[in-house]
Amino acid sequence: MSKVSNARAELREMDELSARTSPIHRLHPLAKLLVTLIYLFTVVSFPKYSFSALSVMLLYPVLIFQISGIPARLCFHKLRVMLVLVCAVGILNPFFDRVPMLTIGGLTVTGGVVSMATLMLKGVFALTASFLLIATTSIDRLCAALRQLRVPGILVTLLLLTYRYVSVMLRQVSVMTEAYALRAPGQRGIHISAWGSFLGQLLLRSIDRGSELYQSMELRGFRGEFHYARGGGYRAADLCYTLCWAAFFLAARLVDLPRLLGNLFV
Amino acid sequence: MLRVEHVSFSYEKEHPVLRELSFQIASGERVGLIGANGAGKSTLMKLFLGLLPCQQGEIYAGGVLVSRENLTQVRRTLGFVLQDSDNQMFMPTVYEDMMFAPLNYGLRREDAEKRVDAVLERFGLTELKHRYNHKISQGEKRMAAIATILAMEPAVLLMDEPTTSLDPYNRRKVIQAIGTLPQTILIASHDLDMILDTCQRVILLSQGMIAADGPADVILRDRELLEKNRLELPLCLSRCGR
Amino acid sequence: MHMADALVAPAAAVAMYAASGAAVGISIKTLRRDESTQKLPTMAVASALVFAGQMINYTIPGTGSSGHLCGGMLLSALLGPQAGFLSMVVILAIQSLFFADGGLLALGANCWNMAFYGCFVGYYILWRPILRSRLFSGMGTAAAGRMKITLASILGCVLTLQLGAFSVVLETTVSGITELPFGAFCGIMLPIHLAIGLVEGLITAAVLLFVYEARPELLMEAGSSGQDGRCSLKATLAVLAATAVVVGGGLSLAASANPDGLEWSLFGNTEAGYSGNMGLDEDNFGVSSAAADTAASIQEKTAFLPDYAFTQSDSAVGTSVSGIVGSALVAAFAAVICLVGGFFRRKSRSCEK
Repeated sequence: MSKVSNARAELREMDELSARTSPIHRLHPLAKLLVTLIYLFTVVSFPKYSFSALSVMLLYPVLIFQISGIPARLCFHKLRVMLVLVCAVGILNPFFDRVPMLTIGGLTVTGGVVSMATLMLKGVFALTASFLLIATTSIDRLCAALRQLRVPGILVTLLLLTYRYVSVMLRQVSVMTEAYALRAPGQRGIHISAWGSFLGQLLLRSIDRGSELYQSMELRGFRGEFHYARGGGYRAADLCYTLCWAAFFLAARLVDLPRLLGNLFV
Repeated sequence: MLRVEHVSFSYEKEHPVLRELSFQIASGERVGLIGANGAGKSTLMKLFLGLLPCQQGEIYAGGVLVSRENLTQVRRTLGFVLQDSDNQMFMPTVYEDMMFAPLNYGLRREDAEKRVDAVLERFGLTELKHRYNHKISQGEKRMAAIATILAMEPAVLLMDEPTTSLDPYNRRKVIQAIGTLPQTILIASHDLDMILDTCQRVILLSQGMIAADGPADVILRDRELLEKNRLELPLCLSRCGR
Repeated sequence: MHMADALVAPAAAVAMYAASGAAVGISIKTLRRDESTQKLPTMAVASALVFAGQMINYTIPGTGSSGHLCGGMLLSALLGPQAGFLSMVVILAIQSLFFADGGLLALGANCWNMAFYGCFVGYYILWRPILRSRLFSGMGTAAAGRMKITLASILGCVLTLQLGAFSVVLETTVSGITELPFGAFCGIMLPIHLAIGLVEGLITAAVLLFVYEARPELLMEAGSSGQDGRCSLKATLAVLAATAVVVGGGLSLAASANPDGLEWSLFGNTEAGYSGNMGLDEDNFGVSSAAADTAASIQEKTAFLPDYAFTQSDSAVGTSVSGIVGSALVAAFAAVICLVGGFFRRKSRSCEK
């Protein structure tokens, strides 16, 4: 499958996930957005050798996965690109940082290995949290939450409109790529002679589409003001959700919870 | 309801697209606007809507002169159904798209929602309400696009090729829906069978002028007239004629 | 070049959010209101197309590999720098949200590295000066236009990609993520992106040339978006200053860190005064969202936490064993949650039947 059709499938999947119902889906989008942001900040703020302290942050994604019923499989699929990137940056740590940290049965674990593992774990956690946010929140509700956070209206409207047209454009690009491939057997990409015209054609057409779109908005009374769906009130339950997780994250960051837990047994 | 008086228009000076056009459409009439490619159908639509400035002559919609000052009023009267529903439906969900115009015209959210629900129910589209615009089928999208415009409650509907790229089932559904509408309707299309089914009157444009204006039954049966203007008899009639 | 969340420290993320946020604010202010509403649909459709277009593989003749499109230069040439920047920001947001390219936390940094340089630096430093210059004037208007567009696209993409790659190195280094010395990291990143920039520049040039042939007015409108000469000089200087502040600030942070390269961490290195610096930046930019406050409070806490892995490295073994046991318990607990969740889901499914 080509990159474009992969992207279309991925987009479709995310839409379907966010259209499901669960207690997590029903939460106010602002609550989910705030919790996700706090989680991300907490996760990346862990010191580079604190692998065990960081591990307690696993509980958040696991709980949300379970309550929302989102299959974790889809998220693992998305991990691959990010893990390669993070790995590439962290791979040299074991070579540069050889301070021994721990010896288990004659095997010495150096600081570099621990810091690389911590980095990978941070990457996985961060990506999972963002995935869970968008898998349980539809784009229009997320945009309403962004407006409540005082993100400028132009930017939010642009996000909404762009999201709407991403799938239209992906379809056009994939149709054109297929048409090209049918007449150019054996070529893996676009030949240099068509570099300009391939996207250029689409670009001109989409600029025309843009102006027709503006006309259609104008004809329906648009005067620069967008009316956003209201995400419903920010209820006590939403506040409770936000505060509980924030308290847990803060505690996990300040106190090495796994070590305390381990001390009970060792 | 719609009145066109001596309207001329040209994009380039030497090539007039519309020449001295004059006609009227009464309230409640359903009129088909036909003609070959480049006959001036789309230009005429755009002039009605004030998307292009009238260079010569005058156009009235609902008794109001179409001009820069009256645009808001005119556009509340006229609902325009675009040929490409993707351009019509720019919000993520059907529901929000339908709310767009009523909210812009200052309706409260609750009132607008009632209106939207009523339109959806009338066309049996309630199931579409919270669906994503990029995930509904072509036929559903066309029906939703018409519903979007109806939620504005316009007095006149202008439709540009409402049946293109639809399968026979969905095309039939759109035709039936048009049949139930009380509005004054002007349809520009090459689908002459559909025009025959939905309109009582036909205006045939040719090179920017009115080549014929009369009952659909008469004009659409006139093989000679149609063929002279690069059109053909509607399929159902040509088969009957054999 | 998308940075992942794990590669930025909170302070760096907040600083980059502040910088990109300021650029967004200024862009919105500069775009006149009526202009921005009118442009909005075109911006949306164009950015959706660039998003899709970045997935097209362009075969590079003579090699087996393929190149991709550079969005920033293309969008700012078509829409003007401000609208182009906003469009790129939206593209990056969608990529991070739906496709896990980059991340929510790193979005600020990504916007700066890929959108700011591509749109503002590329436009004000290269695109517009070159297009307005009298270069190639001996060749006739059309041919000169073609040459200028090609030159500006290639130079623009190369320069902005170099700046972007350099910023990635800076941000990662300042965040204390990698043990790789700064110089070596640059030595890897910059040459790679020089090659990528050249190819991206050629592709961008090809697309813009096509547009220039078909609808020259599209490029010319954006090239002279109604500002007078003095105003544009101001804009150029402002862009240069913003670039200098961010790159220079990052460089000095990286340079003042321990040159041995073991301790780049922002945290626990209080004597270098990073936290103080970052705190100041934040105040200047006036970030006051709840998230930022929380982040700031976390930072304060962590700033005076001892970096225990270093200071107590003698006792590290003893503490780590209990840490490992604890982590294992956490994992076991997570497994229990999964089991319970699975049990309830099965139960509710059988109830539905």
